[in-house]
Amino acid sequence: MALISTVDVSRLFGSVYAVDRVSVELNEGEGVGLIGPNGAGKTTLLSLLAGSLKPTQGKIMMEGVDVTMLPVFARVTAGIARAAQIPQTFNRLTVRENVLLPAYFGARLSQHDAGIWVDEVLEMTDLLRRAGQQAASLGLLDRKRLELAKAVASKPRVLLLDEVAAGLTEPEIASIKEVVKRLQPGRVIVWVEHIPFALQGVCSRLLVMDKGAKLLDGPFDEVWASDVLQSTYMGM
Amino acid sequence: MIRTIEIVALVMGAIIAWLAATYVDSGLQFLLCEVFLLFIMSQMWNLLAGYAGQVSFGQQMFVGLGGYGLCLIANNTGIPVWATIIIVPVIVGLLAIPLGMVVFHLKHAYFAIGMWVAAEVVFQFVVKTPALGGSGGMVLRPGGEMMQGFPEQTVLPVALFLSVALIVGLRVFLRSKLGLATLAVRDNEAAAEAAGVNIWRLHMILFTLTGAGTALAAALYYTTTLFVTPLDAFQAKWVVLMMFIVVVGGLGTLTGPVVGIALFIGIRELMTAAGYSGGQYWIVMGLLSIGVLLFLPQGLWPAFSNYVQSLRGKASS
Ligand SMILES: Nc1ncnc2c1ncn2[C@@H]1O[C@H](COP(=O)(O)OP(=O)(O)OP(=O)(O)O)[C@@H](O)[C@H]1O
Ligand SMILES: [Mg+2]
Repeated sequence: MALISTVDVSRLFGSVYAVDRVSVELNEGEGVGLIGPNGAGKTTLLSLLAGSLKPTQGKIMMEGVDVTMLPVFARVTAGIARAAQIPQTFNRLTVRENVLLPAYFGARLSQHDAGIWVDEVLEMTDLLRRAGQQAASLGLLDRKRLELAKAVASKPRVLLLDEVAAGLTEPEIASIKEVVKRLQPGRVIVWVEHIPFALQGVCSRLLVMDKGAKLLDGPFDEVWASDVLQSTYMGM
Repeated sequence: MIRTIEIVALVMGAIIAWLAATYVDSGLQFLLCEVFLLFIMSQMWNLLAGYAGQVSFGQQMFVGLGGYGLCLIANNTGIPVWATIIIVPVIVGLLAIPLGMVVFHLKHAYFAIGMWVAAEVVFQFVVKTPALGGSGGMVLRPGGEMMQGFPEQTVLPVALFLSVALIVGLRVFLRSKLGLATLAVRDNEAAAEAAGVNIWRLHMILFTLTGAGTALAAALYYTTTLFVTPLDAFQAKWVVLMMFIVVVGGLGTLTGPVVGIALFIGIRELMTAAGYSGGQYWIVMGLLSIGVLLFLPQGLWPAFSNYVQSLRGKASS
């Protein structure tokens, strides 16, 4: 059974279908790249999975259970977490406190266990030396890392990454890729990114969206080489 | 969990409370009761508005419920006054749960006004209910006998110690999981939910606790006055005082309300001693609030500590 799946989900904004009857099944251990032109509906699809938007039609299933109506916080405890396109940090809290919160409430760890886990996450995301700093004082790269660390700290089984590499240099992207690779076993990772280099080697599967609809879905190299992709996406 | 300095503070608080009960004269005790109980109420409003971000204009409802709960239970049952004072906040806290379920549908300014309306509804109900004494209110019958006619002698040490314990308790709370969640919600509500925090539940816990805490302070207060009237207990004056003390002192800080209460009592006592009439100090407080909000919008205490920090910064560089 798929770990998480969407069944014919749509999301309407006014008269525009941001997501249009999309069905996907995502399995444990899978790294899925999600690409598509601006406005294709990638962020909206992640919002439907994370619960911050409700579909106007269709269902979200997790291990055969309908989770469509679960509010955001309950999805996090059920194991779905997202690193948002625009980092959502707690600016007046320290980096460590930012990461502690999802460890307490998302992963439901005790204060003692959360302390150990958070150190591990900070180490992994290369934020340990910034642990005591206020989040407001971070630069772009560290802000992106913190957004990733917060999502990871809730111990998700479904990790949704929305352009966590955008705006970063190649070596910076490479360091984020290392983190994602370490997280992969036992989880579903859905990674939205405009930069193909980021997804290569991490994602074995590639999903292409255009105008809200699922255009292509298959093994990374196959989809990457397909004519349809070249004409719709790269042609933009 | 609890730090050494906090234990020291608690012990000191207990000693000072005992000294205050033994050596301070009755008139000053009466004034100090008001100071500490008003401080507790303000700190409750601060936790709700300054930390949890739920500004309420209706906290006088909990003052009224505390006062009436005290008289109703102590007059009509054999439960002694001291036990009633413990029971009342529990009952009021339980009443706050269904109230919260209704008013939580309102957000921000609507919540603030909705609480005011709710307080007004309870006030009208009390005024129009003869069994509650109508507009004449109620006398706390066993009060005078229990405390040998000097309730302030018992209430002052309790209120003083509770004030110290409250600051310690709030410090411990802010270091706890729930405290971290509260601070995170204040910073970014959507992100806190995305971290797994059930915001509705968190707000309900704080709404209930602060309501109960306000009722506890009120029950202690009306033990010193020995009677309660609806016009006094449900008056918006209470919430205005809480807001003045917290906002002028420093919203969302633990020290701010200490500064705020000192300022309020100072102005009131000095002006009445100088012969100004009862309400004139309100004008000064109004002008002071406007001045602070215009020039030091975070409040006096944060402005002061920022200033000290900038001096230190200059000295070291
Ligand atoms: N809250 C909203 N209200 C109205 N329209 C929205 C909202 N969110 C998204 N849309 C619209 O839905 C469509 C899909 O947007 P979405 O953000 O999902 O695209 P995306 O694929 O993530 O794009 P990008 O690559 O630029 O991040 C766009 O037409 C967008 O304008
Ligand atoms: Mg997007």
